[in-house]
Amino acid sequence: MQSFIRLMILIFCIFCDMCYARETILIVANIDDKAMKLTRQEVRNIFMGGTSPYELTAIALPIENLTRVLFNTRVVGLTESRIQSYWAQMKFSGRKRPPRELNSEQLVISFLEENQGAVGYLPAHVDIPSDLTVIFEMK
Amino acid sequence: MIKPRLLKFFCTTLVIFFSAVTFAEDDDKLQFSGFARLVLGYLDDKDANYLDYDNSIRIDKESLIGLQLDYQALDNLAFTGQLIGHTDKNRDSGIEWLYLTYTPTKKLKFKLGRQRTPFLNYSDVIDVGYAYPWATLPQQTYPRHFFSTFDGAMVSYEIPGKEFSLNIEGYWGYFDEDIVVAERTVNAKTTNFSGLIGHINYNNWTFRGSYHQGRTDVELNDLSEFSEILAQFGFNQSAESLKTVGLTEVFQLSANYENVNYFVRAELNHIQADFVFVPDSDGYFLSAGYHYYPFSSYISYSKNKADYDQAANEIPIGLSPLLDSLAFSYQAIFNQLPVDSSEAFTLGTRWDIQPGLALKGEISLIKGQGDDRAFFTVNNPEFGRKALLYLLALEWVF
Repeated sequence: MQSFIRLMILIFCIFCDMCYARETILIVANIDDKAMKLTRQEVRNIFMGGTSPYELTAIALPIENLTRVLFNTRVVGLTESRIQSYWAQMKFSGRKRPPRELNSEQLVISFLEENQGAVGYLPAHVDIPSDLTVIFEMK
Repeated sequence: MIKPRLLKFFCTTLVIFFSAVTFAEDDDKLQFSGFARLVLGYLDDKDANYLDYDNSIRIDKESLIGLQLDYQALDNLAFTGQLIGHTDKNRDSGIEWLYLTYTPTKKLKFKLGRQRTPFLNYSDVIDVGYAYPWATLPQQTYPRHFFSTFDGAMVSYEIPGKEFSLNIEGYWGYFDEDIVVAERTVNAKTTNFSGLIGHINYNNWTFRGSYHQGRTDVELNDLSEFSEILAQFGFNQSAESLKTVGLTEVFQLSANYENVNYFVRAELNHIQADFVFVPDSDGYFLSAGYHYYPFSSYISYSKNKADYDQAANEIPIGLSPLLDSLAFSYQAIFNQLPVDSSEAFTLGTRWDIQPGLALKGEISLIKGQGDDRAFFTVNNPEFGRKALLYLLALEWVF
């Protein structure tokens, strides 16, 4: 019986994981121009320490966060370990610094609401406040 | 028994780590970070050394620890210092970087002070092993004697686009330090040292192209004196061929592609120097790897070809003992120049144990031709210019 329960839990976890992997990722910013849309390259550049014509400042989630994993693989197109290597190269060559990290999606929303020009990534199931703007969507 | 140098290295590691942890919490404006690597190496041939690795397991050749301090004095003004402690007694430990950064806009950045020379793609992070997939950068494209710091100014400007981003860096400065050329440690002063670097990022592609040049004056008194003697005899071509002042140029191109499953990286460079002791050199490497988290396995090939300028053939032989002696002495200088043309095949795996910590293992077959030195230190003339190098590297950033 115990083995059956374990098997069911495992199947449930895999199912949840697959559902989560299909989750749409939203790039949300606190900006005045509600019509602004960015390309994937522009989003990637902002979160990899580059600049944008719109003076946006990126906010990230912690390494173990599932939304971050999805953002890395689907928007940036790199694994977390490669992104860590990239930041080591940028940091110790004095070029770029990684974005500030906040511990949860809710903290990211609060930070975005309070800071003009801030931009973060969130899963589509989270309620986005009306004063924030979705500037890119990765389905 | 642990050697005193290694013991000192580990003690420094602990002190730096705990200092970093303590101070990092004190003030957001002051940030300590660092990197360390422990590299074990073994060469399977007792007749030669390669990168100072020999037929015994060595840990004191490329192991090191570095500490970086960043202080954000104002919103647009920061100070950065970097100290490195090497276990290799042939490498200078101490201040590697010390510069201030002025960022008037997010796209424009100025750096002033002592900085790493950004010749090639990884040359300013050559000591930060965590930043690249391999256990060591290929000697064929990253000759160790060539990389150092410079004192000067650097400007960086970024142009973000919808489909790509472009970053341009330019620097100007000088350096004055001891370098090793043709197995001799000599003082080299480079003035009017400058370079231009362009980076293009397009989706998962990264391209880099750069040009660097400087006027170098190498202190080789015996060579300068001999050159003067040749000039006095009227052998101006021969005298000119031994000059110790000249232009050094470096050309570099690289392309990287990487996604969640695999990577391909390639880099080539051409080094051209107007000195008898520094050969013109062409080097390249190609590396492809496959990611299967938490591992990445890769295969690489690197090759370089070095050519010295030809000796001038103007001193007559057989006319007088004095001229014969002059001609043989002149020719002997060229005959003893070591040729470092070689190639290397590498297989390796990187294991990302946790964020900031990775373990790498790799094996390289290094091959040279004929009597070329091929970056080996030859202990036995019978050595066949072929050896396997085994490396195990633990990489840490904090």
